[in-house]
Amino acid sequence: MTPVPNPKFEWMNQSRQWGVRVKPGKKGLTLGSLNVGIYGEVPTEWNDQTRNPRGAIARRGMPPVGYAIREKAGIWADCAADLYEEAIQRRWAPATDVPWDTIEPLPDDVERAVCQVCTELSQYANVDIETISSWQHQMAYGYHEVKQFLATATFDAGRHYEVFRKRALRNGGGLGLESPGEVNRMILESRGGWTEAVTYLFLLRGTYAMTMLRYLERFAHNDAERFIYGHVIQDRARHMAYALDHLKYSVAHVEDQTTVLATLLFIGDRLFARELRDPVLREALAIIFGGGVEGARTHGMATWEAMMREFMARYEGTCEWLRVRRAPDRIPEEMRRFLPEAD
Amino acid sequence: MSEAVQLDTGHELDLGWMDQHGQWDTKAEQSKYGLTLADIQIGEYGDAPVESDNQTGRPRGAAERPGSYRIGNYAVRTKSEIWLDNASFLYEEALQRQWSSATDIPWHTIEPLPDDIEQAQCTMDTFLTEVEFVAGDVPARWISQTTPDFFEARNVLLCQVMDESRHMDVFRKRALANGGGLMKATGGTAGVVGSIDLSRDFTEMSSRLHISGEGAVLTIFRMGELMAYNDAEKAIYRLCAQDEARHVAFGVMHMRYMAETAPERHEEIHCYLDEAERGILAGSQNPAGQFPTTSESMAILLGGGKKHFDEGRNKLIAIRRRQLSEYIKRVRSAGFGDRFDNGRSQVPEILADIAA
Ligand SMILES: [Fe+2]
Ligand SMILES: [Fe+2]
Repeated sequence: MTPVPNPKFEWMNQSRQWGVRVKPGKKGLTLGSLNVGIYGEVPTEWNDQTRNPRGAIARRGMPPVGYAIREKAGIWADCAADLYEEAIQRRWAPATDVPWDTIEPLPDDVERAVCQVCTELSQYANVDIETISSWQHQMAYGYHEVKQFLATATFDAGRHYEVFRKRALRNGGGLGLESPGEVNRMILESRGGWTEAVTYLFLLRGTYAMTMLRYLERFAHNDAERFIYGHVIQDRARHMAYALDHLKYSVAHVEDQTTVLATLLFIGDRLFARELRDPVLREALAIIFGGGVEGARTHGMATWEAMMREFMARYEGTCEWLRVRRAPDRIPEEMRRFLPEAD
Repeated sequence: MSEAVQLDTGHELDLGWMDQHGQWDTKAEQSKYGLTLADIQIGEYGDAPVESDNQTGRPRGAAERPGSYRIGNYAVRTKSEIWLDNASFLYEEALQRQWSSATDIPWHTIEPLPDDIEQAQCTMDTFLTEVEFVAGDVPARWISQTTPDFFEARNVLLCQVMDESRHMDVFRKRALANGGGLMKATGGTAGVVGSIDLSRDFTEMSSRLHISGEGAVLTIFRMGELMAYNDAEKAIYRLCAQDEARHVAFGVMHMRYMAETAPERHEEIHCYLDEAERGILAGSQNPAGQFPTTSESMAILLGGGKKHFDEGRNKLIAIRRRQLSEYIKRVRSAGFGDRFDNGRSQVPEILADIAA
């Protein structure tokens, strides 16, 4: 056997664009800065079903990989390349960056509440992981910026899964009760396309989780918790930035998309509202906000209600920004009562 | 649990959930490396079940809700199918060793190169961009199908997807940084029978991706010094090798666990290795293999130009030899070394041929 046959150099001088010299800028040599000349041309449809890098000459006649998402409108967001680099710059490690030593024993009811919330947040991260990773391989290669950004998003979610588990097992408590699963199911089952998954995972669940995390940060018991909530917020803010940018892009490029989103949210709100009736997460949050069971009955629950008003204001605000029409009388009562005008 | 909620007044609480939890009084302590995944593998929380019946996506050790929906539908729920003993270590190491292709590579050290060398480099970059995405897409698909009861292994795979994404972008960056550009794709990763995409079983996939595919790439990255023309390229190969070593370690450690806990699957795993050896080790997904585009490019880089092709070819043969001997070592370490002693594998023969 000849390990290397005599050369023919047939591959030489085959490039669609030669002479490219991208220089590092203030933030180094970034992914977005590579988008020069033909390398920056992102077509509205990507019909190459191989793993041909964008801008390379395709080898013809290769069997298809079988991507389901081949349209730019179904995946794109201009900010993905920058968010990708930002995620890498802002990485953190729960094992060594969280000041675990600052955690001191808490009253039993408060520890139970924190552990319950951590259990739910760990499960939220699980849904992030399962949902995004089930779509990644279905996304065409021509939109690699988004694929790469989503690799950072699942990496973040893996860290969130881990850090909330660590917090729950650190301070004399343990994991609590699992999530009811209705909203989780809806997110996982959003098979109508990646945009639908983005709608449920980020616009609905993500907005809710972000609001909750902001309140938790405000009511953190120690520097470790403050660090955890603060950094998870930072990570999730990137996911939300991608999601909203993508939804905006989708609304601008897909006919009737605002109506489709309105219908999706009409359905999603009902499941979300049903889950709101479940007392577990609400009461755990109220105990944290109220400093214990007694406080939960009064100002703890009042704070939870303020949190819900903030959530609804953000959620509705985003819908309005996307021009998704929402008739208040079609929003379930469990959510409608927190609308600003309901005050 | 009741739905006794009075939302506007009074705020009656149910509180029934407060007594429903996993093992209590758990106090994980930090070790030398911080509060690691290994440090929280304590009590009931440390036990990954041999068979997972978790269909609700519940965090391992949390209390079950009888009414929870069966939303899991996980394909991988047998421990031996995906488990490895050092997942926690590999995960924490991956987190500590993340790097940025934008700021950790000394891009300013790249100077214009002779055209044949730049073309060879850009061809390798185009090829590596192609293969890195296989290594990202395929593990992602398996992550989504794995029960969270085996989250330690799953988290290592999440790190792999992240690493591969960075590899893909660092080679694209290199191709567009020095007066060159992308070249013609090899198409070597299209959906053909026997490829990494085409696996119905996790260990089958891992044997092709982690052991033979990434193993071969790891050898090349480790010898990257020989192909590098500046500090930027040296850094790229060194950092990528560090990542690849973890991916390969995952495959080896998983296969070892499989060998120890599922002897009934021994023969089947050998069949996967037969296929891996036939396909990837000699085929178009190994840049040091016989595919002209990549092997010629590598010979140019190793020799120092087209004029020194023969010198480069000799170095390439040395790399190929090392790939094969490292492969044998890994498969032995994974517990499937009998194939090299009983004549089943042709790799020792090929190795002897090349050495001659
Ligand atoms: Fe890689
Ligand atoms: Fe790899």
